[in-house]
Amino acid sequence: MPGVREQGLNRVITVHIRAFARFRELFGDRFDLKVESPATVRSVMHEIGRRNVQGISELLDHEGNVKKSVIIMVNRERISGETRDDHPVSGEDEVALYPPVAGG
Amino acid sequence: MFKDDYITLCRARISAFSGQVSGENRMLSERERERYLRQLPLFGDEGQEILRSSSVCVAGAGGLGSPVALYLAAAGVGHIRLLDPDRVDRSNLNRQILHTDPDIPRFKVDSAAEKLVRLNPDIRIEPMPIAIHEGNALLVADGMDLLVDALDSYPPRYLLNRVAFEKGIPLVHAAVSGFVGQLTTIIPGETPCLRCAIPHSPEGGSSPPVLGATAGILGTMEALEAIKVLLGMGDVAKNFLLVWDGMYGRLDQIPVERIPGCPVCGSRG
Repeated sequence: MPGVREQGLNRVITVHIRAFARFRELFGDRFDLKVESPATVRSVMHEIGRRNVQGISELLDHEGNVKKSVIIMVNRERISGETRDDHPVSGEDEVALYPPVAGG
Repeated sequence: MFKDDYITLCRARISAFSGQVSGENRMLSERERERYLRQLPLFGDEGQEILRSSSVCVAGAGGLGSPVALYLAAAGVGHIRLLDPDRVDRSNLNRQILHTDPDIPRFKVDSAAEKLVRLNPDIRIEPMPIAIHEGNALLVADGMDLLVDALDSYPPRYLLNRVAFEKGIPLVHAAVSGFVGQLTTIIPGETPCLRCAIPHSPEGGSSPPVLGATAGILGTMEALEAIKVLLGMGDVAKNFLLVWDGMYGRLDQIPVERIPGCPVCGSRG
């Protein structure tokens, strides 16, 4: 299966991350991420958060949930609604994230 | 009906700031022809007359509202209704380019109206030193051809969004923070609404750091979108969120899809 390899007892997949705006600054523009399968939006976001201790507070809330305001796309489709964080992510998927802004 | 003394009061004050407005169905005057000489080739007398007969509500006279109002006034939009309850503060002046140090502590809409009429005395500026709220939202949008969101928080933005759909008026949204800004153009009946674009308002205070140039870029883009919507020209930022990242010089498009069952736009096609 493309993007999947065995690592010890766990299957590890590679996902492609694109970060916009403030998240580009915090986590990097585009990068590949290895996450354990089965992966979800939540597990991918936690893995991204590990890349930058300062950035994690802008991505996750105190309880470790992905902040509701963060816009997430998988393969260029918006993922929203109550089940957003449980949305499955497969090997070679592109996951993009954008934190909307508010000022005027 | 709505009771809002401030609106009544403001409407009475409008004449103090009104330019030399005349009938809407007349030909362009020689003075107008001279003023708009460099843009008339872009859309002709007919386009200029459409702009002159257009009414636009700019909600917010700050970082975004300043360039929006300046460029709409310069382009000859005939009636600009400007909303903002705040007074000019020195900490505004890094980005709110309609206001100057001697304007502290005037109402922003008064400070803005004075400059806009000086820029273009052939249009009408309607300053309203009020915040948009449930009780006045329909009224402030009354008679408008277009709404521009130059606000700095989401509760009034969502209210403006709802009113846009209730009255079928296009809405141009933008917001900024630091080096980053976002914009989308919402056409009731055609595009998803702001709730679908930004379902949950970002956390944080209402005073994020903002570089003046960032607000200038996004506000200018809003003015451009507004003019294109009024004239029906070109493509506007429909069905996506345009994201400008000034730190890295990037312009990205984030797709916007209607959220099933959206209470604002879900049943309006």
